[in-house]
Amino acid sequence: MNPEIEQIHGEEFPGEYGMLFVRTDGIIDTMIRMPLLVASLIIVAAIIPIQPSFSSPRNLDLIIYPDGTTHVSSEIDVDPSNIDYELELFGSTIDNFVAINENGFLLNYDILGNFVLIETFGSSVITIEYDIHDLVSKQSRVWTFYLDAPSDFTLLFPKNSAIIGMTNLPLDMQLIDDQNQLTLSGGETEIDYLFSSPIISVPVEPIDSLSESNYFIYVIIGGIIVSAIVATIIRRKPRTTKLTQKQQITQVEPIDIETIFKLKPDIREDDKEIVKFISKNGGEALESELRKKFLQPRTTMWRAVKRLERNGIIEIEKKDLQNLVKLRKNMEEEE
Amino acid sequence: MKILALFTIFVLIFGTTTFVNDAYAQNDLSILLRIATQADKQIQNQLYQVYGNEVPEKIQSLYTKGHTAVNSLEKSLPNDVKQTKKDFLTAMKLFKQISKMTSEPTVKVQITISHIDQSSQLDRLEKYVLMLKTISTRLNANIDFENIDNLLIKTRNQINDGTENPSENINQLKSLIKSIQKDIRESTSHSAFDRIKQFVDRQLDRIEKKLDKAEEIGADQNLINEAHELIDEIKTLIDKNQINDAKMVFHELNKLLKNIQYSIG
Repeated sequence: MNPEIEQIHGEEFPGEYGMLFVRTDGIIDTMIRMPLLVASLIIVAAIIPIQPSFSSPRNLDLIIYPDGTTHVSSEIDVDPSNIDYELELFGSTIDNFVAINENGFLLNYDILGNFVLIETFGSSVITIEYDIHDLVSKQSRVWTFYLDAPSDFTLLFPKNSAIIGMTNLPLDMQLIDDQNQLTLSGGETEIDYLFSSPIISVPVEPIDSLSESNYFIYVIIGGIIVSAIVATIIRRKPRTTKLTQKQQITQVEPIDIETIFKLKPDIREDDKEIVKFISKNGGEALESELRKKFLQPRTTMWRAVKRLERNGIIEIEKKDLQNLVKLRKNMEEEE
Repeated sequence: MKILALFTIFVLIFGTTTFVNDAYAQNDLSILLRIATQADKQIQNQLYQVYGNEVPEKIQSLYTKGHTAVNSLEKSLPNDVKQTKKDFLTAMKLFKQISKMTSEPTVKVQITISHIDQSSQLDRLEKYVLMLKTISTRLNANIDFENIDNLLIKTRNQINDGTENPSENINQLKSLIKSIQKDIRESTSHSAFDRIKQFVDRQLDRIEKKLDKAEEIGADQNLINEAHELIDEIKTLIDKNQINDAKMVFHELNKLLKNIQYSIG
């Protein structure tokens, strides 16, 4: 029955000089607790994305066809306690509209101007698809896509089209079946594109202004003649030709990569893959193409290319501000 | 001190997530260079095609600025994110301006039905048929797509050959699509009706409970009686499969419920 008396900090005797020592842990905790709580809440509010509400599209995908008609596909959360759902469409010239719910049921709908009333009857998610002619306009050769999107969306451009102007930063870009697909943020977006024609190198000869119309006729006739000659040559001597990114027809002699690997047995495996790709690509490729093909960061690919250059396997040329990587043809001779 | 540790962990987790996302976005900045370079080349080509070697001074000046922005964009990659974005927008806006200027003499045309390319139109119809096939399979609707498949092939060949006008077949395709849609609806009408009936029963049950509560707290009895009458009417209409009429009465009921709620205060 002699319990050990525990000393309580709060009841400590003052020191020799009358100084009061107070344990500070509890005070610090109390002092920082509230600001920390507030800071945490601010961080959470800033980081956690706003929860999607009813009527907000879960996803929105658009495909532009060569004639400017756009296919819209969207998945939307709807209030399951409602019998119908009214949606504003991106325009009034609508074709091929279809609405289905989460169980795949075709839903009845009624389109009136820019609006569609869909009978949801308790559905919580609906998918709508339609074609619309209002989103793209054309002026001369330039096509303009405009949309005030309610959310982020993807936009797939037609084949052989080239973007020549835009008002927003894209979030992402992918190449799907030779078509550019951009991911864009919600809000107003305007993008100009045209169907790319081969890049013509600017000739040095001055244009005779007096006979300008004749000049164009000569160019057209010349073009037809050249096309006919090229077509005849191609027919006579079938050979795989590849258009480079700059759409210039390059005729590079086939390069024997096995010889390269024999001459350079110490070459790294990943570098060999790069060499194989360049060889398949007609003996040359842009460094950016290599980065895209091998999904390598800029610096990693730059080092790899430099390594191959040091080994004398490739040579780098500057072309339109980009690095054009070419397999060296005279490597064997040098050896 | 435990709180401090927890806070540190919290900040580390969320902070890392945010930075990882940022890093991901930064990796993709090279796409800006790809787009801008492509646009630069196309604009250069377009200028040559329109003006030859005599590009108007104003347009040439805009192009030079745009081209300089593309050069700057390439230099600022991959580290200077802010500058990269700025250069991209500058270049693309200038190129857009140039393309507008070079197209100025012609009138802007909104795409209309008459401009529709038949090949693209067939692509869209094909896509639509594919979607109907998916729906039909999912709902076990047993729809025969053979006719429409054959017609799609026939029309595609017509367009590719360019010998015959495919308009008639395209119209026929549209009509077949409507008929297939109708077939799908009919073959799934039983399930669709069940779905609607279940929904209506569930909603009416919920509304009846609300009315009971409203009655308890002294809502206007006339309005409550009216609501019960509408509920009975909806049930009768649903049993008769008169969905559209039921919908209208449902809307009426919802309005009445609002009035009841308002009368309670």
